[in-house]
Order: sequence, then C-alpha cells, then structure tokens
Amino acid sequence: MDPYSAEGELVNIHNHFHQGQYQEVVDFDTSAFSAENALPARVLAHRARIALGQADDVIADVQGESDPELAAVGALAQFSLGKTDEAVKTIEELASSAGDNAVVQVMGGTVLQAAGRSEEALALLSQHSGNLDAVALITQIHLEQNRTDLALKEVRAARSWGQDSLLVNLAESWVGVRVGGDKYQQSFYVFEELAQAPATSSTLSLASQAVCELHLGRVEEAQSALELAIQKEPEYAEAIANLLVLTVVIGKDPTDLKAALQKAAPSHPFLTDLEEKSALFDKAAAKYSPKVSA
Amino acid sequence: MASSGMLTKFESKSSRAKGIAFHPKRPWILVSLHSSTIQLWDYRMGTLIDRFEEHDGPVRGIDFHKTQPLFVSAGDDYKIKVWSYQTRRCLFTLNGHLDYVRTVFFHHELPWIISCSDDQTIRIWNWQNRSLICTMTGHNHYVMCAQFHPKEDLVVSASLDQSVRVWDISGLRKKHSAPTSMSFEDQVARQNQQQTDMFGNTDAMVKFVLEGHDRGVNWVAFHPTAPHIVSAGDDRLVKLWRFSETKAWEVDTCRGHFQNATGCLFHPHQDLILSCGEDKTIRVWDSQKRTAVQSFKRENDRFWVIAAHPEINLFAAGHDNGVMVFKLERERPASTVHQNNLFFITKEKHVRSYDFQKNSESPTLLSLKRLGSAWVPPRTLSYNPAERSVLVTSPADGGSYELINLPRDGSGALEATDSKRGQGNSAIFVARNRFAVLNTASQTVDIKDLSNNTARSFKPPVGTTDIYFGGTGNLLIITPTAVHLYDIQQKKSIAELAVNGVKYVVWSNDGLHAALLSKHNVTIVTKTLEQVSTLHETIRIKSATWDDAGVLLYSTLNHIKYTLMNGDNGIVRTLDQTVYLVRVKGRNVYCLDRAAKPKVISIDPTEYRFKLSLVKRNYEEMLHIIKTSSLVGQSIISYLQKKGYPEIALQFVQDPATRFELAIECGNLDVAVEVAKELDRPALWKRVGDEALSHGNHQVVEMAYQKLKQFEKLSFLYLSTGDHSKLARMAKIAEHRGDFTARFQNALYLGEVEDRIQMFKEIDLYPLAYMTAKAHGLEEECQSILEVTGITEEQLTLPEFGAPLKQPQPVVPTYKANWPTKASSQSFFEKALAGQLEGLSLEEEPAAATNGFDELGDEDILTKKTAALEVEDDDDAAGWDLGDDIVPEADHDFVNVDSTEAGGAGSSEADLWARNSPLAADHVAGGSFESAMNLLNRQVGAVNFAPLKPRFLEIYQASKTYLPASAGLSPLVNYVRRTVDETDPRQVLPIIPRDLEHLASNDLQKGYDSMKSNKLEDGVQIFKGILRALLVNAVSAEGEVAEAKKLITSAAEYALAMSIEVTRRRLGTPDVVNASPDLTKRSLELSAYFTIPKIEVPHRQLALLNAMNLASRSKNLSSALSFANRMLANGGAPRLLENAKKVKAQAERNPHDAVEIEYDQFAEFEICAASYTPIYSGTPFEVCAFDGSKYHSKYKGTVCTICEVCEVGKKGSGLKFFA
Repeated sequence: MDPYSAEGELVNIHNHFHQGQYQEVVDFDTSAFSAENALPARVLAHRARIALGQADDVIADVQGESDPELAAVGALAQFSLGKTDEAVKTIEELASSAGDNAVVQVMGGTVLQAAGRSEEALALLSQHSGNLDAVALITQIHLEQNRTDLALKEVRAARSWGQDSLLVNLAESWVGVRVGGDKYQQSFYVFEELAQAPATSSTLSLASQAVCELHLGRVEEAQSALELAIQKEPEYAEAIANLLVLTVVIGKDPTDLKAALQKAAPSHPFLTDLEEKSALFDKAAAKYSPKVSA
Repeated sequence: MASSGMLTKFESKSSRAKGIAFHPKRPWILVSLHSSTIQLWDYRMGTLIDRFEEHDGPVRGIDFHKTQPLFVSAGDDYKIKVWSYQTRRCLFTLNGHLDYVRTVFFHHELPWIISCSDDQTIRIWNWQNRSLICTMTGHNHYVMCAQFHPKEDLVVSASLDQSVRVWDISGLRKKHSAPTSMSFEDQVARQNQQQTDMFGNTDAMVKFVLEGHDRGVNWVAFHPTAPHIVSAGDDRLVKLWRFSETKAWEVDTCRGHFQNATGCLFHPHQDLILSCGEDKTIRVWDSQKRTAVQSFKRENDRFWVIAAHPEINLFAAGHDNGVMVFKLERERPASTVHQNNLFFITKEKHVRSYDFQKNSESPTLLSLKRLGSAWVPPRTLSYNPAERSVLVTSPADGGSYELINLPRDGSGALEATDSKRGQGNSAIFVARNRFAVLNTASQTVDIKDLSNNTARSFKPPVGTTDIYFGGTGNLLIITPTAVHLYDIQQKKSIAELAVNGVKYVVWSNDGLHAALLSKHNVTIVTKTLEQVSTLHETIRIKSATWDDAGVLLYSTLNHIKYTLMNGDNGIVRTLDQTVYLVRVKGRNVYCLDRAAKPKVISIDPTEYRFKLSLVKRNYEEMLHIIKTSSLVGQSIISYLQKKGYPEIALQFVQDPATRFELAIECGNLDVAVEVAKELDRPALWKRVGDEALSHGNHQVVEMAYQKLKQFEKLSFLYLSTGDHSKLARMAKIAEHRGDFTARFQNALYLGEVEDRIQMFKEIDLYPLAYMTAKAHGLEEECQSILEVTGITEEQLTLPEFGAPLKQPQPVVPTYKANWPTKASSQSFFEKALAGQLEGLSLEEEPAAATNGFDELGDEDILTKKTAALEVEDDDDAAGWDLGDDIVPEADHDFVNVDSTEAGGAGSSEADLWARNSPLAADHVAGGSFESAMNLLNRQVGAVNFAPLKPRFLEIYQASKTYLPASAGLSPLVNYVRRTVDETDPRQVLPIIPRDLEHLASNDLQKGYDSMKSNKLEDGVQIFKGILRALLVNAVSAEGEVAEAKKLITSAAEYALAMSIEVTRRRLGTPDVVNASPDLTKRSLELSAYFTIPKIEVPHRQLALLNAMNLASRSKNLSSALSFANRMLANGGAPRLLENAKKVKAQAERNPHDAVEIEYDQFAEFEICAASYTPIYSGTPFEVCAFDGSKYHSKYKGTVCTICEVCEVGKKGSGLKFFA
C-alpha cells in the first residue's frame, strides 16, 4: 500500500508538511509508525526543520548516514545554508547512483532548481514513478519557466491517478493562479479551505489565500489574511512581501513593510528584483536629456 | 413503473379489514373488521383509542360524520348502527335491510345515510328521525357499493350484476327539504307513498346504467369535482366513466390488476386514480393518460378497501391482516438556506428563492420539469453560493442527481440547460468546487468536481443510507444505526456516534453544532460528533432550524418546539398544519408548508430565550426579559425551581403560597415576611421565625414570635439580645396575662427580686417568697413575710445560701440592630431587580454624537467644492487635442506561447504585458522600463525621467505576488492583472496602482486641502505627484480618458498657481520686500498672476483675496479694485465678500496704482510656467505636450517646470491611457 495514500500512516504528516505546518511535522508522533515508514517520516521531519531554518541540526543528524535519502536531505540542508556548490555536487552524485530514489529526486530537484539548473532538475524529477511530491515540483518548475501549458499537462495527468490528494490540489491551484480568470476563484477555494480550517491552517495557506484574493481584486480580504499571517508569524517573508505588494496596489506608502522585509529576508526576490530594476531605470533614464538644460 | 415513493405512515395488525373511514379533522381512522369489531385508531400516535363491539358478524361499512361526533357502521347482521364516539356507545340501530349490508355513508349536508345490501336494494335513511326515507331498487344482484355525490343530488352504485348505476335523488331532496309543517296524517301519507308521488315520479330515479364490466363491480366512486366515475370489478379492471346531464359513457380502462379489483378512488387533489385488489397490490394510475404510475405490493395480504383522507394527502387501505395508512409522495419540499435566502422547489418543480430580509419570493429561477418523472418530486436541494448552482436529487429512476447553474438574472421560468447529471441517491456540496454523491446500491461515495468528473471515490461505512455536509473537508455519513464523521481527504471515519435512524442533519449557524433528526429523536452533536444532548418526541419530528443564539427550534407534526443545548425543551406554539422550518429570526419563524409556499409564523421566543440566558447566566438578558415581557406560568416556575434558581422563580410567582415557599427556599426573608403578613398563618410565621433565626435576623424572629404569641421564646430572645426594656414589657404582659411562670421567668431574667417576692406572695407561696428575700438579703421583706404568715424565724430551717443571683448585663446592645446576617443569598439578579445596581442600564448607550459634527461639516464643504470643480472643468477639457495613435515600437509580432511544445522557458506574463499594450504604464509594470520611456518620449516628449522613478517603481512593485509553493524553492511569481476575468494571454494587462479614481478621491483631495490650509509647498508636490501618476497610468474604459485629461489639466493649473505663490513668498519676508521697490513690484505681479490659473472658484477666491490685500496694502488700489470686483463676481463665503466690499469701497475713492506692475487687468493672457510672466494672447508660445502648461518661446527645449519630465515644445502623439 502506498504509505502516502489516504489510508497510509504517512498521510497526515505528509499533508502537514505540504500545508506548511512545519512545526507540526517536527512534533509529529511517529513512534507508532511501521518500520518501513520510519525513514520517510524522518525525511519529512528533516525537510520541515530545514524549512524552519534549522538546517544545522539536520546536517548534524544525517552526518555519516549512508541512506541516499538522508544524504539528499543533507544536501538540501547544505544548500539552504548557502553551500550551493557542495550541495549540487552531492546531488549530482546521488542522481547518478540513486536517481530512482524518490527522495533523491525531490531533494535533488529542489536543489538543482534552486541553483538555477532547471533542465537538470526536470530530468531528475522526470524519473519519478507516481510520486506527487515530484509532480508538484515539476509543476512549479514549469511555472517558473513560464510554461503554463506544460504545468497544466502535468497536473492533469496527476489528477487522473493522484485523485483528490492535497498535492494535486495545491499544484492545480498554483497553475490556476497563473492562468487566472475563473481559476483564481478555484484556487482561492483550495487555499481558503486549508487556511480556514484550524486543523490545516498555516501562514503558508493564509498567504496563498491572500495572493488569490489579491489577484481577484479583493484587496481588503487579502489584507486581513496577510495581516493575520504576519500576526501569527511576524517574520514570514512571503506574507510581508505580498502585503507590501498589496500596500502599493492600494496606493499606500510601503516604506515600513519594505524595512520589515529587508529585516526578515534580505535576499527576497522582491528586494533583489527591485534593486535590479532601480539600476535599470537609472541606466535607461540616462539615455534621455532635454535639448536645453535649464 | 416505480415501486418507490409510497410512504407508509401507520400500520395496524388485526383480522381482515373491510371498511375504513378517516376523520376529517382529527388524526383518527375507523376500521371495521371481519371479526365484528370496529377499531378507532390514532394513526399519528399509533394508538388504539377505542373498540366498538356490538355487531354480530363482519362489519363492512363504516363512515364518520363530517361535523358531528358520530359514525355509522353496517354489517352482516343486516343492521346499520349509529354511534357516538364521545359517549362511546351505539345511539340507535336502523333495521330494514334483509341481507348483508355492504357500505354505509353519511350525506355531506343532509341528515341522511346511504346503505347498500346484498338484498339488492340501496336505502337512504334519515338519522335524525331514524327513519327509512327511500329504497332504491333496480340492481338484480348484490349491491356492493353506493355513494352520494359530494355536491350534487346523485348517487352511484355498483353491483355484482356487472352494472354501475347513477341515480338522481333530487326528488327526494325536494320532498324532504319542504317546510316541515306537516300534520301527522301528511307524514303518514308520505310514508305510505313509498317511492311514487302523485305524478308518478320516483324520489330516486335511475339516471344512467353503465355497462362495461364483464364481472361483478365491487366499488365505485365519484370524482370530487369533475363529472367522472371510477369503478373496480372482479374482471380485474378499473374503469373510468364520464357523464353529462344527459348521458354517460366509458372513457377508458386501467389494466394491471391480476386478481379481482376491490376498491378504487380518485386522488382528491391530483390527476391520479388509486385502486387495490386481491392481487395484493395498490396501484396508482395517471387519470389523464390512464397509465400506471406506481404500484405497491404486499407479500401476503389481499387488499379489500381503500380510502382517501378528505383534506390532506393521506390514504388508507384495508387488507387481510389490518390497515395501512400511507401517502404517495414526500410532501417535504426540497429546500436549502444560504445566508438570507431560502432556495426551494415548488410543487410545479420550479426553483425559487425567498429573501428573509425583504420577505419576498423571487420569480421562478429555474424549471426542473424534465427532472425525473412527472409524479416524483425532487428530494433534496443543495446550493453553492460561490458558483450560484444547485444540486438537485430525485428518487426517480433509482435515484439521480442534477447539477444546474442558476441563471444570473432570475427572469422567467427557464428550463434547465447545460445541466450535469448522474446516478445517485444523495448529492450535496462539500466544498465550493466539490460535491459528494452517494450511491446506495453500489455503496460508494464519489467526490466530484463541478464538471461532474469524479475526483475521488470511496466506500462509506456499511449500510450507508444518506450523506450530509460534515464541516469543511468532512461528510456526515448516515447509517441506520449510527452517524459517522468522515474525513474525505483521509478516507476514513474519524468519529462515530450510535444514533438510530437519522433522517436529517441541521447545522447551527455558526457551524459548531448539528442537530441529527430521526423520526422521534433529536440529537445535538458538536462538529466533532460528540453528543451534547438528546431528546425524545412521541410525535414525528419533521424539521429543525437553529436560532442565532444556539437554540434549536424543531417542528413536529403539530408543534413548534425548542430545545437548548442542555436538552431543556418545551413547546413554542401549536401548528394547524405541518410545516418545515427553515429559519428563525427574532419573533419570526420562516418555514415551507406542504404546498411548498414560504410562510412566516410568529412565535414568542421569550421562554426559550429566558431559559437560554439562565443557562448562560446572562442575568442582564434575563432581567430584560422579565421586565419587558409577561413571563409567568407554572412551567417556568417549576423549571427555575428545578434548576436551582428559586430566587429567580420568585420574580414570576403571584400565588402567595408558592411565593412563600420560594422565598424560604432562597432565604429571601423580606418576601417571606411580606407574604406571611398577607396570609398571617401560624405555620408560616413559624417557618419565617426558624429561617430568620438561622440567618441571625432577630428582628424578624421577634416579629414571628410576637405573631405566634410565643412569650417564653420572646423573653429569651430579649434576654439574649440584651433588650431589657422589652423584657420589662414582657414581664408586664405576663402579669396581665396572669401567667406566673412567665412572670417569674421574666423577673428572673430582669433580676427583679422584689417582683418575684411579690409574685410569690400573690400566689401564697410565702416560703418561697421568704427564701428569695432572705437569699437576697432583703431582711425587711423577710420580716414582713414573717409577720404576714405569723411565723418566727426560729421556726424555720434554712439551707445554706450561695451568692445572690447576679443579673446578666448585656455586653453589646445587640437589640439595637441585627446581628451580621447570614451571607447574603441575594444574587446579582435580585439586586438588579430591586434596582440596587447602579449603572446597569437596559437601554443601549446613545451613540456619542458630539464630536461628529465638525468633521461632517468639513466633508460637506469638500464635496461641494469637488462638485464645483467638476462643473468648471467641463469647459476646460474640450480643447485638448487627443492626437493620432502611434503604434509603439514595442508592439512586436505576437509569439504564441501555448503552441511551443518543446522544453525551454516561455515568456513571462510581464513580457506579454509589454506586447499587449501601447501604454507606458503597462510596460513599466512588465519591467521593460526602456520601452516605457521610449513610449513616453514619443507620446509626450518625456526626457527627464528621474522624477518618474518612484512612480515607475511603484507600478513595478505592485505587479507581482509571491505565492509560496514547494518548500525550499523561491515563491512562485504571479502577475497581478487589472483584467481579472481575462485568461487569454494576449489580452491580459497589469494592475496599475493609484488609478484615476484613486487619484481623484485621494491625492486630489489632499491637494485641495493643502490649498485650503495654505500649505502651498506641499500642494505643489502633491499636484506634481498627481501629474506624474497620471503620466504613467491606465484607465479601464475609453470614457475615462477624458476624465484623466481633465485631471491632468486641473493638476497642472494648480501646480502652476501654487508655484507662482510659492515663488512670491520666497522673495523675502514682507519687510524685505517692502524695502525694495523691485521686489515689491515682483511680489505684486506674482500675486496678481496667482489669480490667473484656472483653479477651483473657492481657491481662486483665496488667491484673489491674497492679491487684493497685497495690492491695497501697497496702495495699488486700481488692481485691488479689480480683484475685489472679481471676488464679488465669484460670490461665495460672506466673510470674504464683506472684505472685498470694504476694499472696493476704499479703492473706488482713489482708483490708482501706486506701483506700476506688469498686470493688465483687462487683457487676456496666460502665465509662462518658467518665468511666471504673462503670455498675452497673440504672442507665440510653446506648450508641454503632457500637462499643457505654456511657456514663452525661448523656453523651448527645456524641461517643463510643472511635470518636470517633458520637454517644452516637443510635439508628441499624445499620451495614451486606454489599451
């Protein structure tokens, strides 16, 4: 039986992870799990720790372990600490030795994509056999490459065998937010359902819900969702970044939020991008000048 | 032919039932049995009310009288008996038939009974004078059935001679309704006339003989309204006949029974015929199409008779082993509530909605005519507000569902188009994009998306009969013995509660609780399926709805009741017809009746609200209820007493005895005393005394003892409280009463030795008197006693005396006040009632309305100003040349992203924006700043972009959101669109913050405020900001372009005007300026120019005032006069005008300018925005292509001072706002 399927032991911890409830994953009582599920549960817990910024602990824990799964998680932990080259090297080795390992695929895909090597990430991930984590990653990579068509195809295929599982819904919603129109609303439903039920709620789903609302033009609702997310997790960069965007959209002054984002995530794409664009502006503006300067 | 749909409501077990009659009003049914018994059942409660056993042998005919408490029966003993069900006995017997009597019926208005018999006759009897009035002969075999027509003077009969006969009895009515002032002889004569009067007419004539049955006819019945007859015979056929004034004919035959058809009738309200037969079936036929609609079969019992309830949709059939009462279809209209709307399906299968707030019913939103079969109403309705679609299930065809979108504009009865359907017994929305379908036959639940594709499916717990919404992500799954809370995601039951036979689930408004309704039970559960309470009803429970406060109101067949969470319940009101509750709001209960009509029933929610606030200990609310409503009654009192709130119950009781009991119970002595005084009974006073004693309230104790005349106790009380004066009085009283013991006692308490001695003497107890005197050393007294008694001291032997008794002295004057009484049992509530609590105000605080006024005033002015501005601006916008479109270079060939199949990255939406739009703003949002600048350069000659940087970055920052996706990867970037509904990548466009509307309602107002508050430097920046925001902007409709241009012009004028004045102020302080003639001149000029730009009139007035004051101060009275005149012409605030008038009067005396300035008040000119000098009409000038500000020609090629972006004199294609 697929341990991630609805009947399996791992479904709850797995869902927690993908709902962004990382602390719940770490705290999850896995003592009752059968032996075969112990490793996947451990991997999930490590991934959650990495997401919580405790990569050091993970590296310490997987040190010396021979399982490719743990090695892959270790690579992700290294990557998250900024040791890009080492991480990529580990992943490349694992990809050639244990490319059929689901965890290696997912971790490897994540590291490679994050390192900007999308094609390799896709190549590694495409070896998956019925792994929804991989599907979700592939979908995301396609979306980052602006290949909505391929992402859509990926999700449709997964929908046929993955049934209504959380990851399929999430991936479909990611695509939905990109496609827009009616799909904004559909995606909103998915995120909102997660965000509003106490058992599944997380800042991640709140932020996602808010993003949909922002796209739908429902700024007040988006604002309250984001503020709630920030209230729950004051340093949550995505919530701050999106609230910042929202503040600009409604024509308000975003200075405070920019400072907050700078503090929470100095290398957030919003900030790096903005810096880049600011330089671009100056460069482009320099091309023009009045005939007569006053 | 479906066998479903028939709903059995009651079944009895007995010997063969041959006759049935419904009571027209009460839920009663009479059953006559082959065993000679007549039973009276309450089919609603399922109880046997009575048995009547006087017939000898089978009883075949039975009928209730419509209005009187009578019924009639007839049987094989040839007898017809008339009974009173009140006195429960047979009133009299009509004898006359010579063989078995088959049927008896009352006439609907005349005091007649019709009977038919195996003696081949039909007889009509008058039950008032207990006589036979007519015998109808003609049938030549047993007459099996004879009935009056429900309205006309007709009789129909069926006989084993294979014929059905229709008789005209109008003659009989004439004869018997004639004035009854007949002599005895006349009556006798009439009796003897038998059937033929003197003209040879008979009282009852055969009108038609209907032949068509091949065998004997067992039953015949008239249609309630139409001229139709239905008959059933041993030829197994049910025949439909029609008749007119003159003839009658057979219409059609319903074939289907495969044994003798024994009974038949028309459905009272629908075009249906029901028949039953010895083939053990009941069959339902469509009387229009004469096709079988339904059939119902019993395993072993042959049916003998069938009857319809005259009013409601209920039928009964008698068979070999008893009777069954049933209805053909569910009468519960399918409905669902969403917020303030009720959606329901009418009897015509139309979907309608009803607005609770407006109390109005919508026109038909949708027609479901084609759903299921004609005679099967839809079972459930589920509404999805997000998609405005409905999910309807119907039991037809083994269960089916249909998903239909409601038309957006509910106009006219639309046939459902574009519906998605499938097989299933229950279907409900579980999320806004998912619904669940239960198929009971295959025992599967499918979760489907809105395109009807199965997203997942699972096997529910064994024996699942129904599913309901179970909260987000959950289903409530109903099995015959339990309810499961089922997690759809995990595909497992996460909670289970054993409840039998749940039929409906009703969620509370806050979604925290649900009521599970079964036939006789209401179980309240939490959303996690934990049982909160349960209650049992003997009457069937029909529906329920939650009050906002968490009270469940439910309806039974004949009551609306309530239950609180804790299971306390009671009756709210009675119902005269069954309704289905859908909503309760205040004093109104909204419901649907069986005709699917929304109704509002008013209720008195006081009782349950009171109980609820009691449970919640919300005393203010209780107090409010007590004060505002007349809540009395034994039930409330006993409820309160039972719940341990005697002090509250006390507030409702009028009856003094009960009041006293309650007062004692809650220790409320005041009330107890009050009642005791009123009733003044010793028993009560005793209890008051005891209670008061235990409280330490000795004053009340004293009163009680006084009332009870318990002198000893009183004395002791006074002793213990140290009240000597009262003790003395007690002594006096004792003396009066002649009670020596009491007197002695009091004297003892008081230490009155003399008094005691005196008393002993009085009662001749000299030895004791002497002893007392001696002991207290009263020697004189001793002597006098000795003298009186004539004994000397020597004759006495005295014991040793101790110290004399010392009188107890009170330490504390307790009697002056009560002891500290027992801890007060006065609740908050009582205090509030007694008015002791201050600040507990029942009325809501009046809203603070003091400081709102000023602001309101300001706003008012503001709006007025805006209005004024808009009026003025109308004139200005006309002259603006829009120019020709120049297709921007950025409009490259479009690359269709979707078609590229191979790998590799596609272009982002940001890139598309640049391709899709000729607007600089859209290019900025897409991040292509170069092309945006290029566009602006071409359109309006923008050259100096630095001031636009904040605007560029603002737009750019608003363009993207960050959707957190997989852990470990950067968030997914998505692009925010202003075209929210658009999905075609060639049409999508970015959102532009601070659009026209935002600028007009925010920034512009801020600009005006700065003008008003004289913060001109801020104002200049605000208006320049508006210009820059407009320079890079987009509008959503062609029509807004003009508005945008208008706003540009206005902002430019303000920026210019304010800049002029700012420049003037920068010339120096007034002293500096006045000191220098040049500066004075410039200052006066600039102040004059300040009045030139076309700004809003109130603001221009400010400029004019400024100029006028400066001019008049500098003795430039001519200029001042012109400004004053302009001000007066503009009108406006009286204070300003007053000022202007003064200056005008002053200036007119000497209209000369002291300082010559370059300002010709009569010439037309505009102001150069760079030099702030006049550009007189006729002289050449240059303009800024964006904001329209004017410059002397020499400034051509410089950067516009107003927008600070564009090059003066550079021609452009014109700014574009609309893609």
